[in-house]
This record gives sequence, C-alpha cells and structure tokens, in this order.
Amino acid sequence: MILVIAEQRDGKLNRASWEAIAAAQAFAGLSAGASATADPVKVAILGASIGAPASELAAAAVAEVLVAENAAFASYTPDGYTMGISALVDQTKPTFVLMPHTYQTRDCAPAIAARMRKALITDVTGISGAGANATFTRPMFQGKLAAQVKPLGDPPFFVTVQIGAFRADAVQKGGSAQVTPVAVPIDASAIRQKPEPPFQEAKQAVDLGQAERIVAVGRGIKSQENIAVAEKLAKAMGAELAASRPICDNGWLPMERQIGSSGQTVAPKLYVALGISGAIQHLVGMKGARTIVAINKDADAPIFEVADYGIVGDLFEVVPALIAELEKS
Amino acid sequence: MTRETLDVDILIVGGGPAGMSAALRLAQLQKEHGGEPMSIAVLEKSREPAAHALSGAVLDPSTLRDLMPEFPQKGAPLAVPVLADHVYFLTQAGRIAFPIIPPPLSNHGNFIISLNLFTRWLAQQVESEGIDVFTGFAGQDILMDGSRVVGVRTGDRGIGRHGEQKPTFEPGVDVVAKVTIFCDGVRGNLTKELERRLQLGAGRQPQQFALGLKELWDIPAGRLPAGTVMHTMGYPLRLEEFGGGFVYAMGDGQLSVGFVAGLDYKDPLFDPHMAFNRFKQHPFVASLLDGGTMVRYGAKALPEGGWNTIPRPYMDGGLIAGDAGSFLNSMRLKGIHLAMRTGMLAAESAFEAVRENDTSASSLERYQRKIDASPVRAELYPVRHVHQAFGHGLLAGLAFSGVSLVTRGWSPVDLHGDAGHARMRKLDTSVSPQRDLRASNETAIDRRLTFDKVTNVHYSGTAHDEDQPAHLLVHTEVCSSICGPEYGHPCTRFCPANVYEITRDADGTPRLQINASNCVHCKTCDIMDPYQVITWVPPEGGGGPQYNGM
Repeated sequence: MILVIAEQRDGKLNRASWEAIAAAQAFAGLSAGASATADPVKVAILGASIGAPASELAAAAVAEVLVAENAAFASYTPDGYTMGISALVDQTKPTFVLMPHTYQTRDCAPAIAARMRKALITDVTGISGAGANATFTRPMFQGKLAAQVKPLGDPPFFVTVQIGAFRADAVQKGGSAQVTPVAVPIDASAIRQKPEPPFQEAKQAVDLGQAERIVAVGRGIKSQENIAVAEKLAKAMGAELAASRPICDNGWLPMERQIGSSGQTVAPKLYVALGISGAIQHLVGMKGARTIVAINKDADAPIFEVADYGIVGDLFEVVPALIAELEKS
Repeated sequence: MTRETLDVDILIVGGGPAGMSAALRLAQLQKEHGGEPMSIAVLEKSREPAAHALSGAVLDPSTLRDLMPEFPQKGAPLAVPVLADHVYFLTQAGRIAFPIIPPPLSNHGNFIISLNLFTRWLAQQVESEGIDVFTGFAGQDILMDGSRVVGVRTGDRGIGRHGEQKPTFEPGVDVVAKVTIFCDGVRGNLTKELERRLQLGAGRQPQQFALGLKELWDIPAGRLPAGTVMHTMGYPLRLEEFGGGFVYAMGDGQLSVGFVAGLDYKDPLFDPHMAFNRFKQHPFVASLLDGGTMVRYGAKALPEGGWNTIPRPYMDGGLIAGDAGSFLNSMRLKGIHLAMRTGMLAAESAFEAVRENDTSASSLERYQRKIDASPVRAELYPVRHVHQAFGHGLLAGLAFSGVSLVTRGWSPVDLHGDAGHARMRKLDTSVSPQRDLRASNETAIDRRLTFDKVTNVHYSGTAHDEDQPAHLLVHTEVCSSICGPEYGHPCTRFCPANVYEITRDADGTPRLQINASNCVHCKTCDIMDPYQVITWVPPEGGGGPQYNGM
C-alpha cells in the first residue's frame, strides 16, 4: 500500500499534496503493469477540523482517505506531526509513504524517518520500477546530475516528491473513496513547541514554489522604475512577481523573489519571462514550468530554447499590449 | 572575542599535491624515526578534499615512485599511460605537425590523470595515516611574532553580506605550529602576504603566470585512442602572445580539452576565455568535439616564471612548496611532480628542524639545500629563462628553447621578464582599436561547442554562501576613474567566470558589479589587473568550485 500524506492549512489543501497523489497513482500504475493488482493508494490528512478537505480528497481515485483529527494537529508542530505521522504509519503499515516536498515535510520527514529508522528519499522527480524494484530519481549538485536511488532495509520507505515534478491536474478523479476517521492518540504534553499565529515576515514574503503563475523580470527591464510594468502585468494575470539574479543583486526586488540555482526552484503552470536571457543558472530554477512564455529583444537568447511561446521584441511595447488585452477580458 | 587555539608541531596549509605529499612524507618519517609522535594538521579550503584541484593533466610519475613505490597496489588513479604525442602549429584553418616531438614535450612513460581524482586519492592515503585534514577551512591570516611565522588563523564563518555577524557566526581558529608549510597554490593568498612582509622576492625576478582553462568532454567512442596527448601552438593566439591548447584522450571516450594563455598579453581587450572558444572552433579541434557534450569546466592560473622567479622558500617557522613557490616547469608544462617533490623536501626539512628544536630560518635553510641537490633544480635550472624568452614572442621563445636544450642552459646572462600585468598596454596604444568593451578576439557562442562564461561556470559546480562579504577586495575608485578609461575594464575579460561586470547607472556611469559567488578561485584577477588593486582573499570555507574528475 502507498500512503500519501496530504497537507492542509486552515482547511485548504495545497497543490503539492495533489501532486504527491498524482505521483502515488502513477507509481501504483507501474505495479499494475508488473503484476495483476495495483498497489492501493491511500491518502491521510492530519488536522483539527478537516471534514471539508477530506471530502475533497475523496474525489480522487484512491482506495481510502484516512482522517486523523486531533486538537493537537490544529497547527503544525514538529513534535506533533512527527508523532502523528509516525503513529499513522505504524497503524496502516504502508510499503511507501509519499509526502510533498514542502517546507513542512522538510521539517518533519527526516525526524519521522530517523525515529522509525527507515529510509528517506527526498526531492524525488521521477519513479521507475514497481514495488520492491522501485527506483527513485532525485537531483544532485544543484540539479546538474540526476541520481537514481533505491531504498535499503525494510519498509515503510519514505519518499518526498519535488514540487512541480508531477502534475496536480494529472490526478485521476472519479473515485468516491471511503473517508475513514482514524484515532491517533497523541500525548499533547510531549509536544515541546507552542506555535504562535502564523505571520509574514515582510509584506512581500512569498513561497513562489506554490504560485500557479509567475511573471519574472530580468536585466532587460533596465531600471528599478520599470519593475512597475511587470508588476502591472502580474496583477492583471493574478501572478506572483519574481526575478533573475541581477535584479535581486541590484536590490530592485527582494532576494526571496529570486529564481534560479542560488534562489528558488519553481514549477508554475505559467511562467512569463520578461527580458531574461536565460542563463543556465536561471533555467535550472524554472524549466519545470508547464508553459513558458519568453519576451526578449535578442532572438538568440537561450531562454527561447526552453520557451513554449516566444516574442522577439521590446518588452516595453509588448507588455502594455498584453495588459490592455488582459484587462479587456 | 575569544578564539580557539589549536597547537600542532607542523601545519600544512593547502591540501593539493604539495600539501598531501608533505603530509604523507611526514607520516613516513614518523614511522622511520619513531620517538615522540608529532602532531600534524592540514588545512584545505574546499568542502571536500581535492575539490579545488584542477590541471590538464599529464603526470610525470617520478616523484610518486619515490614517495610511494607501492602506488600501483594502493590503487593510484592514473587514468591511462601516454601512448602517443603530437605537437601541432595551428593556422586559422590548418595545422602543421612538428616533424619531431621536442624532447621536453615527450611524454613517454607519463600518465594522463585527473588531478582532482589523484589528489583525492592522496588525501585518502593521508587520512589513513591518521593525519587530520580539515576541509572547509581556509587560511585567512598569517600569525606572526616579529619576523617569525607561528601559524595561521582560519577564516571566520557566519559573516553576513555587510560584515555583520549572523546567528551562525563562528570565529576562526588560531592554528599555532612550530613549522608552517605553505602549499596554498598558485598566487596563494598567504604566500603572497609572506612575500610582501618578509621580502621573499628580493633579488628574484618578478613571477610570471598563465591562465589555464579546461573542459571535460564526452565524445563518441572510437574517435581518439585513449592515451593520446596533443599540444598546439599558434592560432588563435598572435605570435606575441604566449600559450597554446591541449587535448588529452582519457579512457571512456572522455577528452580533456584546454587552453593556456599567458597572463602577460599586451592587448587589454584580449579575453583568454574567448581564445579557448576560438581554439575549440578550429576545424581540427571542432572535428574532435563534434557530436560530443561538454560535461565540466574549470579554470586556474599557473606559475610559469621558473627557477629565477622562485621566492626564498624558507623563513623563521615557515616553508613554501608547490605552485605557491612557483615550482613548475613551463617548458615541460608540468608541475605536479615538482609540487609533490617540494612538498616531500619541505616535510623532511620541517621534521628535522622540529626534532632539533630549531625552526629558525637558518635551520630551515636546509630546505633550499635539499632543493638544490634534488631533481627540482636539475630540471628547472637549465630552462630557467625559457619562459622569459617567450616574452619576446613565440618565435624567439621557440628558438631560445632550442638553444637552451643544446647548451643545457648555459647562458652568458639570464634573460629578464617583467611582471605580466605591467606589459598590458593602454587602449590608446593598444594593438586592438577600441570597440566598446567587447573582447578583441570575440567569437560566436553557440552553447554547443562554444560557451559564455556564465554557462561554463555552472559546469564548474561553483557555489558560495550568498550572504557573505565579497571576497574580492577591489579599489573601486581606481577602477572607475583610471583603469576603465585607460584599459577598458580588463577584469571583465580576463576573469574566466564572469565575476566582474560593468553595469551602467541611469546616467551611463559605469559601475563595477562583483559577482563574487561565481568565483572559481583561479586567482587571475589578483595577478593580471594592471593597477594591482584587486586582492583575492578566501571566501567562507567550503565555497568555490566543486571539481570532480577534472
């Protein structure tokens, strides 16, 4: 059995959870090819009052949705979730546990795997082989190499799935999976952290990894004042604003909006690159985007090698035209 | 602030071939002589042993045989023996094979190696002898007591971009030693400082350098037999410029392709990286690489000056070995065996001096005597000013090389060579008419055969913590007001990693932007900037390229 740990916050599921389910379904499909019966996929979710996300999950073609409700899971704590997920895994005895490679998972997955003395394979981008023969692909050396890894020891094996490596819209729906409450007893006094209400450090603080649409600006934007043009396009598209390295080096946008090998890795549905030449250090951070649109004056810019749609032209002419079109509709 | 202190008998700064050979030799001496065990430590700035080691490379195994005769049983990674030598003079589209291989370039009995894998293996031997190799720690400052070297201070960690202490702050450690052996490589930051403070270069000629650039390529099998060694002269360099290309065929369809450009060129708009690109575009080289893939990149300076430029390598409490001391035979294009040899000799000198309880300069002078009686002098003295002859152009250099082979180095007077950076001409007197700041040898970048610097840097695996002060200290006033107008910001061209970039403010004023995290630690900027206003200091330990198989 493959168990996916879905993540919710305030009753809202994140996209990365759906991607993990898609990965699990694809993985189960591989075993279906190898033997007569597919490994069943189950999804577990932890929280305090999570009926809504649980029934949302039940729409996926999975065997069962396990709902662990407990006041101690109301907000994330490393101890609470480590104990909770460990207990869930103990009870359900899956062969593989798939988790989305989010900040939360990065925090607790190593602790869970260490506590249970089981193998953990992180940031997985691909799965091949079924069951015991499964091989997982994960990036090494800033994405320059891809390593194929097999877990050793006894199951369960913990696997975290890179954001954007699998597609949330590839999740097979149509099931009406049984929603089963699971009692996960937690000794609340053993939780050593007390979470304060979440807050954003800076107003712009953003997790670009979760953004569905991104407008990114590069050196072609020329000056800080021109950032407003890109901002306007981002607003019209409902997109997050990001940048390549020189823009953040100049302090025109904060570092947390930098995409690339020394910034964030993103895989939105739509990535619009404005005046970005496409140095390889930038490409490794965004080549997983589903649709890439590049606007650049230089027809030889490497960004056009990865772009699905390219406009060779002056972004200061093209972008206002795009904004005007978007605002019409 | 309180700093930790580590007391050792002998400290080796730099874990390259010189440092590792010194450490191994010390372990051997310890076993041979017994007695009170000496404490030995090796500092290395790279994150893992040998991650900053880069060379062509063809190894003359003579020193390895002396250091560790049992090297074949210990699995020394000598990729392939050299089976065929070729030397070509390249014209723009053709090549002329040298009718005979000049004796210094004959590689019979040598091996093509990856210096990086070889040094990693040396490090394993050192660690199995129980010697501590502290990787991720750079020697930042020399600890001195008057004119006596008493050790090295490692760099602080956890300093932010603006010099502030981050929560991860950890002060550097003072490593105090009876003898410190400086093996910090070509233009080592500590050796450079020692030379300045102790006038170690007094009476010596100015040091000479070149920049070596290298890529590893995977090429279709069967194209070039493993063990083939090719060297080229001529195109794409002008006759006045020193340098040349190399192609070494390792096993597994892998080629080591590189280019060496003398850091004494006159044209301020010359770009060594572009010269490398042009070398690859030469029809002959391009035909070897066609259909292949570039898999790694690296760059590193080389000391080329030879015997007459070697600084005094001993002082109170200190010795200098390897590239740091310019122990390289530029005529044979080889330095690894000399680095290893001087490392061994430095180890012997340090060991004896510590045992005699006298580590003064007069006691450590025995190192110079050992060098003079060793193959190091026998090899370097006869060719002591061949590189200087190349300062008069390729033809003069070749002619002089031939003469010195016949006379075995006898000469009525030694040729002098100026420091390379001093030869650079200003734009108004330069051999290239100025065209903005573009390289005079610019060529097309197709990202298959030829690459821009930023792409290449990606293939060096270079990474630094971004939140730290720039480790390139630049006198920016000189840069914008003098060097820019006079030389057209040559740093933007000689740096092979795009560390230096000129951006324009809204009013068009040039502003130097230092992309310090691109730095591959080659030291070219510290060497070649015409006003000598760039100082390379180590970034936070562990940063830098991540060479593997180079």
